[in-house]
Amino acid sequence: MEESVFIIHPSEIIRKGLAWILQEYFSMEITQLAAVSELSSFSEITNNQIIIIMEADCHIPDEIWKKLKRNNHLSVIGFLGHERKNNSYPAYEFELQERFTALQIQQLIQVVRKSVAKQRNIISVNGDLTVREKDVIRLIAMGYANKEIADRLNISIHTVISHRKNITEKLNIKSISGLTVYAIMNSLIDIKDINPEELI
Amino acid sequence: MKIFNKDDKMSSLVTGNYNLLPVINRFGIHLGFKEKTIGEVCEEQNIHTGFFLAIVNTYSDESYFPHAELLSFSPFLIIDYLMTTHQYYINYILPKIERLLNQVLLTCRKDCSSLKMINSFYQKYKAELLLHFQQEDEKVFPYIKELYNTRVIKDPNNTLAVFENEHTNVEVKLSDLKNLIIKYLEPNYDSNAMNEFLFALFQFEKDIFDHARIEDKILNVQVLKYEKQLKKLNGIG
Repeated sequence: MEESVFIIHPSEIIRKGLAWILQEYFSMEITQLAAVSELSSFSEITNNQIIIIMEADCHIPDEIWKKLKRNNHLSVIGFLGHERKNNSYPAYEFELQERFTALQIQQLIQVVRKSVAKQRNIISVNGDLTVREKDVIRLIAMGYANKEIADRLNISIHTVISHRKNITEKLNIKSISGLTVYAIMNSLIDIKDINPEELI
Repeated sequence: MKIFNKDDKMSSLVTGNYNLLPVINRFGIHLGFKEKTIGEVCEEQNIHTGFFLAIVNTYSDESYFPHAELLSFSPFLIIDYLMTTHQYYINYILPKIERLLNQVLLTCRKDCSSLKMINSFYQKYKAELLLHFQQEDEKVFPYIKELYNTRVIKDPNNTLAVFENEHTNVEVKLSDLKNLIIKYLEPNYDSNAMNEFLFALFQFEKDIFDHARIEDKILNVQVLKYEKQLKKLNGIG
């Protein structure tokens, strides 16, 4: 299945900037459009993994939307101006602010990657981690200390420590940032939930 | 593994274990030894033969670590060696590793986000490592030199124990980096490029292990003992 990204925005700087960033991460085809109506030239696309990044208050004409949706796997990422409008599109996987930070970019990358992975139907193999260990690794990645993890999972601090020991032994990864990278790579956690200090 | 002595040929050191090449370079020794022995080359270049031997032997054989002998060397000699090693890491090894990682990134085929994540992780590791080197070169080593030169503890609340030791942290991250790549990264890159990067990481890991060992088990032990003596002499503590 081919993958393609559409960036729809009237500002050329924003289009090009986003395209440039995404190209750094993905080798998929990126098409830049100034207006939603231009999407009609692409409505014949079939069997594609399509990611549309567009302004939140724009509306894809029903006809094009239905066609694309029927023949492809579609996900939409909403792009907000600094003034939030009420009639926002319901189907956004992620809302991007106009003045986005480096962390938001990482989140966007994560969203794009997830949509791709979903479609590829890759069921990630998480080693032999138990459900509980996955809970613990998630909270570690989110920057919680042992005591907080214990409170959140309603277990004793000793149990948390023993889970951590088991995780480290199984994965052979000891540092918090290493575990965070593991959790993201295996889709145990979303990048926007992590403690940004731990990664970038 | 063979323990070298001063009557061995310098060339046998390299043929015996080529990983020693950068180590002997750090002493200012370069190839073209002819038939000279280790002792002869060291004398020619004004290098402490015993220290040189201790360093190459502990480096080439992990189980060999003559504590007593190592503890007998001057801390100035050890600091010189450690600082030269830092320069070698900063100016040569880290740029090389980074170059190799960039090569891998260039070969990435589809969805490079995980590889990018590895890159971020490496950058974080590198930043921590550089900070650690900087802390030692600018604070710890000058402190030790001054301590031995003046034989006075200026501030009893500011001694070696105060300088935080971050060796374990940086070592752990390097090992995590390797494991993430070996076990969990999807191989959507050129294998040869990745192998070169990994080889460099393995070699660096070995080098820095040896480096940390000399620092933690020799230099720090010497200084802590010296500080104790000085405190007694100065009637502190």
